[in-house]
Amino acid sequence: MNPLIAPQLPFDMKPRAREAVRDLKLQQFVGNATHLKDTQRGGIFDRDFGLEYDDLRTVARDTKQHALDHLDELLERFIANAEASGAHIHAATTGREACAIALDIARVHHAKSCVKSKSMVTEEIGLLPAFEAAGIKTLETDLGEFILQIDGDAPSHIVTPMIHKDRVATAKSFVRELGSRYTEDPEELTKIAREHMRGLYRAADIGVSGANFLLADEGSAVICTNEGNFDLSVGGPPVHIVFVGIEKLIRGARDLAPFLKLLARSGTAQPLTIYTSFVRGPRHAGEHGGPRELHFVLVDAGRVGVLASEKRDLLRCIRCGACLNACPVYRKVGGHSYGSVYAGPIGAVLTPELERAQSGSNGLTNYPDLPRASSLCGACYEACPVKIDIPKFLLHDRARLRERGLSPASEESVLRVWRWLAERPALFRLAIGAARLHARMLGQREVAQDGERAWLTRAPGPGAGWTATRDLGFATGESFREWFAKHDNARGAR
Amino acid sequence: MRVALFTTCLAEALAPRALKAAVLVLEHCGVAPEVPLAQTCCGQPMLSNGLPADAATLARRMCAVFAPYDAVVTPSGSCASVVREKYAVLFDAGSADRAAAEALAAKTYELIEFLETRLGVDPTSLKGRPCAPLTCHDACHLRGLHRHGCTAPFLSRAGCGEVRELPDMAQCCGFGGMFSTQFPEVSTALGDEKLAHVSSTGAGTLVASDTGCAAHLAGLAHRKGVALRVISPAEALAESLGLLETGAPNGGKP
Repeated sequence: MNPLIAPQLPFDMKPRAREAVRDLKLQQFVGNATHLKDTQRGGIFDRDFGLEYDDLRTVARDTKQHALDHLDELLERFIANAEASGAHIHAATTGREACAIALDIARVHHAKSCVKSKSMVTEEIGLLPAFEAAGIKTLETDLGEFILQIDGDAPSHIVTPMIHKDRVATAKSFVRELGSRYTEDPEELTKIAREHMRGLYRAADIGVSGANFLLADEGSAVICTNEGNFDLSVGGPPVHIVFVGIEKLIRGARDLAPFLKLLARSGTAQPLTIYTSFVRGPRHAGEHGGPRELHFVLVDAGRVGVLASEKRDLLRCIRCGACLNACPVYRKVGGHSYGSVYAGPIGAVLTPELERAQSGSNGLTNYPDLPRASSLCGACYEACPVKIDIPKFLLHDRARLRERGLSPASEESVLRVWRWLAERPALFRLAIGAARLHARMLGQREVAQDGERAWLTRAPGPGAGWTATRDLGFATGESFREWFAKHDNARGAR
Repeated sequence: MRVALFTTCLAEALAPRALKAAVLVLEHCGVAPEVPLAQTCCGQPMLSNGLPADAATLARRMCAVFAPYDAVVTPSGSCASVVREKYAVLFDAGSADRAAAEALAAKTYELIEFLETRLGVDPTSLKGRPCAPLTCHDACHLRGLHRHGCTAPFLSRAGCGEVRELPDMAQCCGFGGMFSTQFPEVSTALGDEKLAHVSSTGAGTLVASDTGCAAHLAGLAHRKGVALRVISPAEALAESLGLLETGAPNGGKP
């Protein structure tokens, strides 16, 4: 797998984050795109739902939570109904198993080529490298994923995988890899990609996709796309495999509406994705399209473990990407800084949790920076269409980091001393007084009309991280308590 | 109504004028706040940095210190949100601590919120005099109190003068407590972006509804030599109401 999304562990986020902040192009591309999508998201919900937006989110939250709470039952129902429709069902406990199932299917059909539409779970389990290693030439048909594939790059956003790249880079790789003429015109580029892909769809032995929802009542999958590439990948090849995390199950079409209303609006500020495709069973007698064989690979890969943990809410995630667009930190560091298929706020909590559930480790030893890489601003929670309280889980993980000694001990000593002092009001006041005195003695003093300030430009100990880029201003006059004592006396006298 | 001012450690250390302003504004609105001497820190730094048991120790103290009062008011958005949103879950449901935490949460307010929702102050009735143009950045933690974006309209209607809209106000300033020293580059980049938006408004005064955000942005501006005055909403109100002298942008020499 690409080290950008499957780095060496334990993963050190800081160097990548530092580099990303200095990368002016990345700042521009990711900053502009995320701001735009976030603003448009707010706009379309305001326009279409107004104050009812929150009710819609509550319905979606409760519906998905209910589905998760009854997952056993829904799985059984889905399997029965999908099998009745002629589909084959496979269950994979691990990513490796999921890949092995697909390789078996490919072997039976002597498959040499595959067309694949966008799917996060296939990224997660490393399907493409597994196929390539087995000599199955695989084409990413989502335009963004295709560009990343020919560039040897990796997705950095759940919904807009090439958010970190620009047209110039795309144009250059098209010339290099496809031998096309140089153009930066998006329409032209799309046309070139389309021409390149059309023949490959027809020739492919296997189609692969993910799914946005599984409908238990109907035994079918719902796939939301904008480019129509899914429909080609399911319509052309004789065999199609749908990879899907088991958390995508909902009761059925009767529960689908709120999610369709929320998914496209949250992700791309569209009322609906251009295509909302329903896949049920293989091609039946008398039908003209569709694969002759349809497989569902139901992927656990840690999800059952998450379901049994206090982080089960995370499985409500519908992969809309809204939290990434809303997150100030994601906007600055980009997706690859998270060292995982899942970037941004949801990735920061989901990645260690999936690792924990799969490996039996604590999950955080390998990702000690992820829970800390947040200002806890809450924009993710506000943007989440299924109301996942991501900041709550970040705090939860920060506590686990401390318990396991995975956070700096120096920080902990400072916090412990602070707490100890805070239990002793007189000492605490002395400490604040000492900090102010320190600033008054050593700081740069400046007078303004509203009083004098002393600016610390080099703070000792834990303050050094602060003064690397910032000064710290203290008002030097009398303390609030001194002022208030006098004020209160005067008040009493009045 | 007995009202306590919850001063917060950061404001006591860095911004005593914000606290003074809070007292004067409350008095102007007919409330004489008390300042419980035993109050210290609410435990936010421990809570945000993986030490919930230490935070719970301080939460218990806070509940005891503020127990005698009918309302607790603080000029800091994030400290208010900790008491309101985070305290209760530190304790087991049904415990006495839980009940005390819920009681404290129910009577704790950020200052502007207190004026508007508890006292029912109509800002237009304050009839402040216009001060220099300002712009306003609300602390992210006001989101959880459903008060994000409420400061600017209040100041504007109170007559504080021209309140210029801050572009992209919703984005965090990058402070984030210890995040500011754990990821200094990211924190600084976000702060720089915020300052660029502030500067685009042309306003010389930034009102920030949290002492931490204010210290971060003022500190960045000062390091860069940018003349920007960063004050609290309480100070903006107190100045406009003539309760405090209007200041000039920082950066002057003694």
